[in-house]
Amino acid sequence: MLEDKDFEFVEEAPVTNEEVPAEEEITADDFTLTEVDSTIHEQKFQTKPTTFTKDAFRRFKKNKSSVAATYILGTLVLLSIVVPLIDRNDIQNSHPEEIFLSPKLFNAGTGFWDGTERYSNIAVDISEMPNATTEEEKQEHWWPSPDVYTQRSAISKKKFTDLTYVNSLSNLGTFGKEGYVQFGFDRNELKGNDFVEFSSQEIPELELTADSLYLSAFDTYDAEKIQAKEGKEDFGLPTNYVLGDVALFFSYYEGDTKQEVQLVDYAKVHNIGSAVASYKKDKVDIANIITTQTGKTTFEKARFAVKMATAGEDTLVCNLIGALAFESNFAEEETNAIFADMSFTDATKALTKTAGDKFAYWSSTGLKAIYLSKAYFCSFVYDTYEAKYGIAVDKSFSIKDLLRYQKNGWMSFKTPLGDSTIQDLDSLGFYLDVNNFTCQILDAEKCPITKPLTIDDFVYPEPNDSGIAVGEIVCKAEVCRYKKYGYSSMPRFLLGTDESGRDMLKYVFDGLRTSLIVATLTFLICFTFGVIWGSISGYFGGNVDLIMERITDILGRIPFMVLMTLLILHWGSSLPMFVMALCMTGWIGTASLTRTQFYRFRGREYVLASRTLGASDARLIAKHIFPNGLGTIITAEVLIIPGVIFSEANIAYLGLGLQNVSSLGVILSDNQKWLSVHPYLLLFPSIIIALLMISFNLFGNGLRDAVNPSLKGED
Amino acid sequence: MLRYSLKRLLLAFVTAFIILTLTFILVKALPVTLKISTSAGERMGFYDSQVALGYFSVIVKPETEHYQPTMKIIESFVVDKKEYFYYPRPILEQYFSWLGNIFTKWDWGTSTSLELNASAIRLIGRRLPVSMSINIIVVLVSVPLGILLGIYAGLKKNTWIDHTISTLIMIFVSIPGFVVITFLIFFFSYQTGWLPPSWPSSTAPLGTRILGYIIPVLALSFGSICGYGRGVRAELCEVMSSEYLLLARTKGLTKNQAIIRHALRNAFVPILPSILAEFIGILGGSIVLERLYGIPGVGNIYFEALNNTPRDYNVLMVDMAIFTIIGLLAGILFDLSYGFIDPRIRMGAKK
Repeated sequence: MLEDKDFEFVEEAPVTNEEVPAEEEITADDFTLTEVDSTIHEQKFQTKPTTFTKDAFRRFKKNKSSVAATYILGTLVLLSIVVPLIDRNDIQNSHPEEIFLSPKLFNAGTGFWDGTERYSNIAVDISEMPNATTEEEKQEHWWPSPDVYTQRSAISKKKFTDLTYVNSLSNLGTFGKEGYVQFGFDRNELKGNDFVEFSSQEIPELELTADSLYLSAFDTYDAEKIQAKEGKEDFGLPTNYVLGDVALFFSYYEGDTKQEVQLVDYAKVHNIGSAVASYKKDKVDIANIITTQTGKTTFEKARFAVKMATAGEDTLVCNLIGALAFESNFAEEETNAIFADMSFTDATKALTKTAGDKFAYWSSTGLKAIYLSKAYFCSFVYDTYEAKYGIAVDKSFSIKDLLRYQKNGWMSFKTPLGDSTIQDLDSLGFYLDVNNFTCQILDAEKCPITKPLTIDDFVYPEPNDSGIAVGEIVCKAEVCRYKKYGYSSMPRFLLGTDESGRDMLKYVFDGLRTSLIVATLTFLICFTFGVIWGSISGYFGGNVDLIMERITDILGRIPFMVLMTLLILHWGSSLPMFVMALCMTGWIGTASLTRTQFYRFRGREYVLASRTLGASDARLIAKHIFPNGLGTIITAEVLIIPGVIFSEANIAYLGLGLQNVSSLGVILSDNQKWLSVHPYLLLFPSIIIALLMISFNLFGNGLRDAVNPSLKGED
Repeated sequence: MLRYSLKRLLLAFVTAFIILTLTFILVKALPVTLKISTSAGERMGFYDSQVALGYFSVIVKPETEHYQPTMKIIESFVVDKKEYFYYPRPILEQYFSWLGNIFTKWDWGTSTSLELNASAIRLIGRRLPVSMSINIIVVLVSVPLGILLGIYAGLKKNTWIDHTISTLIMIFVSIPGFVVITFLIFFFSYQTGWLPPSWPSSTAPLGTRILGYIIPVLALSFGSICGYGRGVRAELCEVMSSEYLLLARTKGLTKNQAIIRHALRNAFVPILPSILAEFIGILGGSIVLERLYGIPGVGNIYFEALNNTPRDYNVLMVDMAIFTIIGLLAGILFDLSYGFIDPRIRMGAKK
């Protein structure tokens, strides 16, 4: 306030007239009006008027990488909507006939993206070898397990390699026909002279000598072979032995007869996983058991045997015999030390079978003995589409399908009288006129059967006198399978198909859409809640702020993974619950940012003015303060979206991902197991998620720089 | 400063306490699952250990007198004509005996499924060295590399070198770690066979075990290197355009002198705290990366405890406690180190 004393009265000096020349009288006529008839305009701005949004947009457009990212992002979002609509392939049900097709864009044989798979060093089954005399002829006709790979589908010339040293033990049982067993303590110690030679598929009797400290022999069998071998096997394992378990045996010779003692049956103690993990923990006093059960302390010839058989998913049932020969007077500690050196974990790892007849094997396993076996290997390029969809002989073709083709007019079965020779009798099965069977293909374009059938293609019950067979009829037909599955031409899956035969193109973009929906929903909820929380906390300040801050403090400090795990375990992982769980801590960032903005603006004069004019708290918050901070808040919070997508994928890897719907994270974590065999299943979802994250981050940063130029460069 | 530090520590302690309380109650509120396949004697042993820890109660009655169940009996056994009824105690009671065991005996419970009746804290203690060894290498690799990269890019601002480094940093910061490790395994293990596709066992030869470190260290370092690179570059760019650097040059310092004595020192103020906080993070493990590479560390045991049937809640609790405490300590160190590094910043001082 200005007061009276602020003003001082200054006396003006008296005006003296003498020095000032006498003023001339100025009359109204002296003035002329210059713009009497013209209208006066305000001068236009030299620059164009602009708004904040336009200005921000201009700055955003300058940032080339952000613009590119925006286009990529837009394309991805568009594809995630459009692709599942356009692509008619079914991804809800499984299609067992269409699994693991490679990505195909170009025709097979192009060499790139052509639906082929390259197989290298597939062991050749010599027992399937046809009569051939020369080495060249043999190689020409040998073919790895004909049940799995057909010659027809191979598109490159076979290349054979003759390996005498087989690194992988798995080849021995099936394909190794000649070879050696080697004795030794360490792989490095193995020398050429110590071989025990064998020439058949039989595992040789392992002769043990005093100086062969450690020996292990591995063999692979299938389940029946193990069952069959139970009685005959030298080791004479108990007949009630269950596959999938681990047990430790000790065998020794008493004179010429073989005696055996079961030392530990891990099956009765643990499941196989924990037995492998904790065999060292259960301190089994082996020497003591041996002594009490045999009454002897020294042995001439003896060995430990571990029998382990895993019958899990994709695992070849294997029978591992780890044998240990030791000198007649080993001390108790030495025996235990040698036992402890045997590694169960290693053995299972060495023989874990992955798909496609390949064995995942790494020589880190510290194997104590190896086989040297001679086997032939084959490398070739294989057309997966031809193998799955090409022409093949179906030995039990459905008669119902034949009748359907006839009904569609694609083929016909006619007797001279004009009736159909095959009929469907609902209760009795089928009816086949054996004597008058003729078959004709009417529409070769559409009919899946490639060659007209003859009566020899049928297996049927004894016909009656008039040549009519009634009952169960089986047909053998050469079928073009893509036509059978209802395709008009050989299908082409751009990104291949997965283990359930789902089209990866549709599946990935469907997953992308789910991920985006989850992220957007989370963003909206977190944003709304965080803004409300932050506004209240920041606007009122004081004790309200203190309490609210403490709550966010504690909530924000709970490790994210821990919180998510607990919430999902309690609530389940349906989409709404999943989003709720993500929102539990997601809003904290927004809240603290909003709070800062409110602290910044709440003391401004215009807020004070508005309050003086009687505006309510709600009005001040919503109309005056919040809009000012909105730009900063929203640009920073856009980055919640990639964060949520990332978190979602992380949680999926924990096995707690979304259920019943597929998101990018679920697809990635589900397909992780196929990395070694079908890497394309991971390649495309990985590329999509990486692209999404990169473009989202670039877009978010560009947006922030545009809205808030002062923050530029902070990244 | 000391007062502020103590205050922060106390606050962290309270926070940890609240978080662990909530976690315990949430974990215990999940239905109890028990292993069925084990023998009756072992199950009884397990229940007895639970009784000793205060999670369960037991009522012993002569066989003739049948117990009227008011509590949710989990299982009963008949031994020597006596009937033993085991039932879980109310969650709050369990909570207080859990707390009591920790404070009085430092007993965090026993494992219920991973290694039956083994001490949970010892179980995790065995896993800790693996995670720590990897993390230490990651810090040793990523901090110097990231800083050098950032300095280089910052000094060559707006040249093609800077643009290349910045773009690469942007890309690698965005690509999730699980994608990186997937591609590393695919390329270096399955395609070329140079490195083991999963963590080698402890009995593997030394060479293989050393090779086994490469993929997880690479996968964990990428993000870290890029984070530091980006931070250092941004700070350096800001400092380089500051007036005091111009003054330093004007008073006759060479460019290198100005950069080393003035620019770098100031640029590191916001970077050092995060480096220090990362050293605390050595104790933790990345759950997903450890799982993908099969590393038997503290992160992987979290996954194992969670996905084992039955779930191993005690191990889970200890693991969660580790992650919580690491997070809190890292936060404190982060805030406090600002005060040590930059004398202008006085933590906890009144304005």
